Amino acid sequence: MKTENEIDPKFVEEFLKFSRNVIEAPKMVSAPDEINLEVTPHDVVYTEDKVRLLHYKPLTTKQSKIPLVIAYALINRYHILDIHPKKSWVRNLLEQGIDVYMVDWGTPTKMDKYLDFDDYVNGYLDHCIEFVKDEASVDQISLQGYCTGGTLATAYISLHPEKVKNFVATAPVIDGWRDTTVISNLAKHLDVDKMVEIVGNMPPEFMYYCFSILKPFEQGIEKYINFFRNIDNENFVDNFLRIEKWLSDTPPIPGALFKQWIKDIYQDNLLIQDKMYVGGKHISLKKIKMPIITQVAVGDHLVSPECSMPLHYAVGSEDKTLRVYPTGHVGMIASSLSQKKVLPELGQWLKERS
Amino acid sequence: MKNELKKTPLDYYKHLSLFWTDLIYLMSSKPQALSSVGPMRNFATNSKKIATELIDSNEDLVEFNKRLMEYYQQLSDTWTEAQKKVNSKMPKIPNDSEQFDSYKRVWIDIFDNDFTDLFDSKKFGENYGKLISSELELSKHWENMVNVMLQSANLPNKKEIDEVYQELHALRKRISKVETELRVEKKRIKK
Repeated sequence: MKTENEIDPKFVEEFLKFSRNVIEAPKMVSAPDEINLEVTPHDVVYTEDKVRLLHYKPLTTKQSKIPLVIAYALINRYHILDIHPKKSWVRNLLEQGIDVYMVDWGTPTKMDKYLDFDDYVNGYLDHCIEFVKDEASVDQISLQGYCTGGTLATAYISLHPEKVKNFVATAPVIDGWRDTTVISNLAKHLDVDKMVEIVGNMPPEFMYYCFSILKPFEQGIEKYINFFRNIDNENFVDNFLRIEKWLSDTPPIPGALFKQWIKDIYQDNLLIQDKMYVGGKHISLKKIKMPIITQVAVGDHLVSPECSMPLHYAVGSEDKTLRVYPTGHVGMIASSLSQKKVLPELGQWLKERS
Repeated sequence: MKNELKKTPLDYYKHLSLFWTDLIYLMSSKPQALSSVGPMRNFATNSKKIATELIDSNEDLVEFNKRLMEYYQQLSDTWTEAQKKVNSKMPKIPNDSEQFDSYKRVWIDIFDNDFTDLFDSKKFGENYGKLISSELELSKHWENMVNVMLQSANLPNKKEIDEVYQELHALRKRISKVETELRVEKKRIKK
C-alpha cells in the first residue's frame, strides 16, 4: 500500500536523468561563444563609423525590383532576424524573391555618446537608403523597422517620404503612455538626464536588468530546466543557445539617443501626439501617406500591442494593414509561426506593392 | 554660527572636517610650496575636494541604502504573498513527477504574475527610479574624486574627454554633411 510520504520511483528516475543531463551537457553541446550567428551569406556593402549595411545574397533567380531595407532595433543585435536557417526572417524573404538589406547599428562606445536621433535617422539610416537606391538603381525602397528600429524608421518616413515606397512596422515603439510592459514602467520613472550625464551611454547592464524582470521565473528558471531536460534534442538545444547568445549581446545605446528616446517616447509621448522633432524637423504621422503594414504580437511583453497599434490609426495612408499575431516579441520574427504565417503574408503584401 | 552648526550631526561633521582640512592646508601651504612642485602640489591643493566629496557622498549613501532596503522589502513581501498563494492552491508536497510538474507550473505562474504586478506598479517604478538616481549620485562622487587624482597626474579628466567627444561628434556631422553635398553634386553632374 502506497503511503502519502512515499516517493514515486519514476520521480526519482527523472530527477537522476535530469542530474545526468546537467553533468553530461558540456560534452553534448557547444558553448554559446562557439556558435556563429552569421547564418545567411551576405556582403558588407556600406560602412559609416560603426554602422554597417549588409546585403544578403539572392536565393532566387528572379528578385522583386524594390529592395527591402531592414532597420533593426537599438537593443541587441540584428542576428535575431537571421538566427537559424529554419527560422530566419531574412532567408524566408530571400526565398520569396525579395532583395534584402540590413542595417547593423554596430556597438557604440563612449566616443559615440553624443549621437542622437538626428544622427541615426537623417544620418546613418538616410545614407544607407541612399546607398541602396544607387546600387539598385531605384528611386524608392521598402523599409522595415523592428521594435525601436520601428521608431527610427517611423521618424524617417515622416521626414523622407519620397524615398520610401512601402513601410513595414514590426512591433514598433510608438505610444509610450499606452505601453503596459514593465519596461515602460521603469522608463517612465528613470532620471535619464542624470544617467546620461554620469554614465554616458545607456549601459547594457541596465538592459539586462530589464530583461531579467520580464517573466522572471519562467525565463530565469523554467527555461533552463527545459534546456537540460531536452539536452539530447539537437534542434531544441541549437535554437536555445542561439537565442541565449543573441540575448546576451546587448550593445550600449548612445547617451543622447537614449535620452531622447526615453523622454520623447515613454515620458512625454511626443511621437503619437505629432509633437516630436528630430534634428529640428517636425515628425508628423498624419503626413505619412505610403502603404504601411503594422505587425503586432498579442503576447508581446517588450512592446505591448497597445503601444504599437496606434501607428496604424495615426498615419495618413489610405493603403494600411494591421496584422495581429498570437505570439510574442521574438516569436513574431523567429519562430515556426513567423515562417508559416507572418512572413508569407508580409511577402505577399510587399510583392503586391513592389 | 553656533546655531547653524546645530542643524544636523551631518552638517556639524561636515563643518568640522572642512574646518580642519582648510586650516591644515593654510598652515602647510607655504612650506609645501617651497618643497614641492608638480603633481603632488596639485594633489595637495585638490585634496580638499576629495574630503568634500567623501562627506557629501554620505548623504547619498543614506538615500541609496533607504531605497535599496525598500527595493528588497518589496521583493520579499511579494515573494511571501506569492508563496502563500501557492501553499493555499497546492497544500500537498508533490511526490510523483506529474504532481511535481503541476506544482512547478502553478508556482511559476503565481510568482510570475505577482512579480510582474509588482514591477508594473507605480510604487516599484518610483522606488527603482530613486534607487538608480542615488546610485548615480554615488558614482558621480566617485567620478569627481577620480577627476582630482587625474588632474594631479596631469591627465585629462572626464569633462575634458567629454569636450573631445563633443568636438569629434560635431566634426563627424560636418564631414557627413560635406559628403552628402558632394554626392548630390556628383549625381547632378552625371545627369
